Amino acid sequence: MPVLEKTTEIQPKTSKRKRTNWKKHLVHLFLLPALLFYVWFQVYPIFSAFLNSFFEWNGLRRGEFIGLGNFVRLFTEAPFEETFYRALGHNVIFFIGTVLAKLIVAFLLALLINSKIRGKEFFKTVLFLPKLLSVIVVGFLFSLILNPTYGALNTFLRFIGLEELARPWLGDPNTALYTIILVNGWYGLGFAVLIFLAGLQAIPSEIYDAAKMDGASGFTMLMKMTIPLAMPSIMVMTILTFIGAFETFELIFAMQGSQAGPYFSTDVLATFFYRLAFGSVDGGESIGLGSALAVVLFLMISSATAILLFFFKRKEYEQ
Amino acid sequence: MSKQQIAKVEAIVTVRRMGVWLFSAVLMLVLSACSSGTSTSAPGEQNAAQPQQQPAAEEAKKDPVELVMYSWRPEDKEAYGKFISEFEKQHEHIKVKFRSFKSTEYNTILTNSLTSGTGVDIVQLRPYSGATSVADAGYLLPIDDAKGVKDIPQSYLDAARGSDNKVYGVPLSINSAVIFYNKQLFEENNLQPPTTWDELLQVSQALQQKGIVPIAQAGKAAYLLSIAHSVLGPSAYGGEEYVQKLLTGEINLTDAAFKESIKRMKDLEPYFPPDFIAIDDKDAQALFYTGKAAMYINGSYRLETFEKQNPGMPIDILPALAKEKGGETPMINWVDGSYGIAKATKHPEEAKLFIEFLASKEFGQMFSDDLNRLSAIPGVTPKHPLVQKMTQLSEKSMTSYMMLVHFGEGTPTTKTTFEDSLQGLYINKLTVDQVAEAAQASADKWFKPKK
Repeated sequence: MPVLEKTTEIQPKTSKRKRTNWKKHLVHLFLLPALLFYVWFQVYPIFSAFLNSFFEWNGLRRGEFIGLGNFVRLFTEAPFEETFYRALGHNVIFFIGTVLAKLIVAFLLALLINSKIRGKEFFKTVLFLPKLLSVIVVGFLFSLILNPTYGALNTFLRFIGLEELARPWLGDPNTALYTIILVNGWYGLGFAVLIFLAGLQAIPSEIYDAAKMDGASGFTMLMKMTIPLAMPSIMVMTILTFIGAFETFELIFAMQGSQAGPYFSTDVLATFFYRLAFGSVDGGESIGLGSALAVVLFLMISSATAILLFFFKRKEYEQ
Repeated sequence: MSKQQIAKVEAIVTVRRMGVWLFSAVLMLVLSACSSGTSTSAPGEQNAAQPQQQPAAEEAKKDPVELVMYSWRPEDKEAYGKFISEFEKQHEHIKVKFRSFKSTEYNTILTNSLTSGTGVDIVQLRPYSGATSVADAGYLLPIDDAKGVKDIPQSYLDAARGSDNKVYGVPLSINSAVIFYNKQLFEENNLQPPTTWDELLQVSQALQQKGIVPIAQAGKAAYLLSIAHSVLGPSAYGGEEYVQKLLTGEINLTDAAFKESIKRMKDLEPYFPPDFIAIDDKDAQALFYTGKAAMYINGSYRLETFEKQNPGMPIDILPALAKEKGGETPMINWVDGSYGIAKATKHPEEAKLFIEFLASKEFGQMFSDDLNRLSAIPGVTPKHPLVQKMTQLSEKSMTSYMMLVHFGEGTPTTKTTFEDSLQGLYINKLTVDQVAEAAQASADKWFKPKK
């Protein structure tokens, strides 16, 4: 009898465990729709780009398997080789320029807003407002503002007597890329300020009180305490800026078109990809070369992001 | 079994049922996605099934059908509304929806629609190599046997052929690259319209001295430079004879006369608007139709734009410049796109009816009258005096838009390479020789001289 009792006691436990396991699997089933969407819209396009890059393409028709042929053409054949390195250089300039024009300015503004100034919320809202606009709208509006014939900027410069500074901002190869970087900086400034502000507000005020009592100057506190403690938000914004700079497309497309003129002076890897994959108005597309470039871009961004993450994580541990 | 245990068992059964239903729903979703993917990604399959569907389609002939047509000319929407209503009067069960997209984005949108096999029945095709690549990829139905197609001149049909030599599109219109000029400004300043390079320079200097922008040229979109070159270039290299020499390989794009034509483009820069490389075509158009500029170079399709923007404006046109005084002044012509049938259309019969309408003289006449353009359909008499003039000038002397018609292949196309290089010339990144060499290097990759 005691044995029987024991058996009857065990049986419900086993079935309960089974039920628990089954429920666990049911939870996985609920993830299936999201997983399907992810696979369909994220994994499949990446996989198909990989696949397409190994084939020869005649217009829209897939031809023979050519292995790394498209990659070899991309890196050795004119004009692709020259265009690739020029565009890559512009992406690097875009990243550095955005760090200078957006991240540093945003950090300084976040420091200012985090201090005891009046109208914090107003400044936060005003700085974030551009982000509410579509990037295409921003590109269009700035194209009008920067128009050399009737643009507001040159008109203003002429009005205040600085006519010598008026120039075709987007038509001069020496200023076009930097102008777009500044517009991009203006557009993303508010978002960067909010991220930095969140990082700064997470630093306990007691640390500053203690440092002040020890006689630390404002600059010392900034360098030795604020920046190291705000490193997680700096890390997030640097990585986002890096990815954004190497994927940048919409603003350049909206302001300069897919040719990224004048004479490729604003050409980046994404506009180069667009021209390769979709051609111009007159055609000339090459899906194979475009896919090869997309694969290279994917590998570059993912590996560089991994290196950046490793670098920042190590910095965090050191602190 | 206690009540509590029964309740638990019921709960488990309910949850299990829910799981089965959920799984079934997800499975159906996946299967339906897969099946639709199969049917849309293989347009050929649908076509293979068409003979079986035909009897049913004939039975349901009068069932309402909607055809979607794509175009890269949003500015023609109103006119097409009128053309389509004429067609719909003749075929009451067919409705045609005109969807237009920005020209620079059109190729991408069309590629997406054709590869997914959805969204479009009637396709506006880019001319020459643009149409060939879409046809060769198997996204179009041949239309050789459509009524009216055989009557269209072969040289026009060449703009819509596949590599298999079949016709895949009804040529829409003949475009001419011309110099538009403001007659009033010329008369007020006692100037004669130029016919040679030297005369163009003299006229431009005189206009500039009067504070008038001589030529409203935009350079932000590089294709505008290529069109301008097609009109100005013959002043250096002549007309069709020179084009034939290039096509037979007797000379190439690094020839001295061709280089001279590039140099002349650069020499004309002082007579373009300030910072012209940064201005859009719309800005250049505005300079012309507001009377601030005296000349404007582009396709004949801009005539309608100017007449809409400034109806009373006294405009005239000039063909390409002659090599010497009294020499040939050829009209630079090309077929500007055509309309074909997407192979994935669910209504091939109705689409063919619409294509036959587009190939009819009735449509050609309406098209020419309403849009002030030269129709590719034979027997159409242009109503507009300037379009009539273009027809007469074309009959007198004509050559093709060389870069578009003969050098529109390659990745990027030789035409694109040439016009981008011209932009490089204007911002002093390239020399005249480098522009010619870049164009020839691009042509060397694919161009085979005619024997």
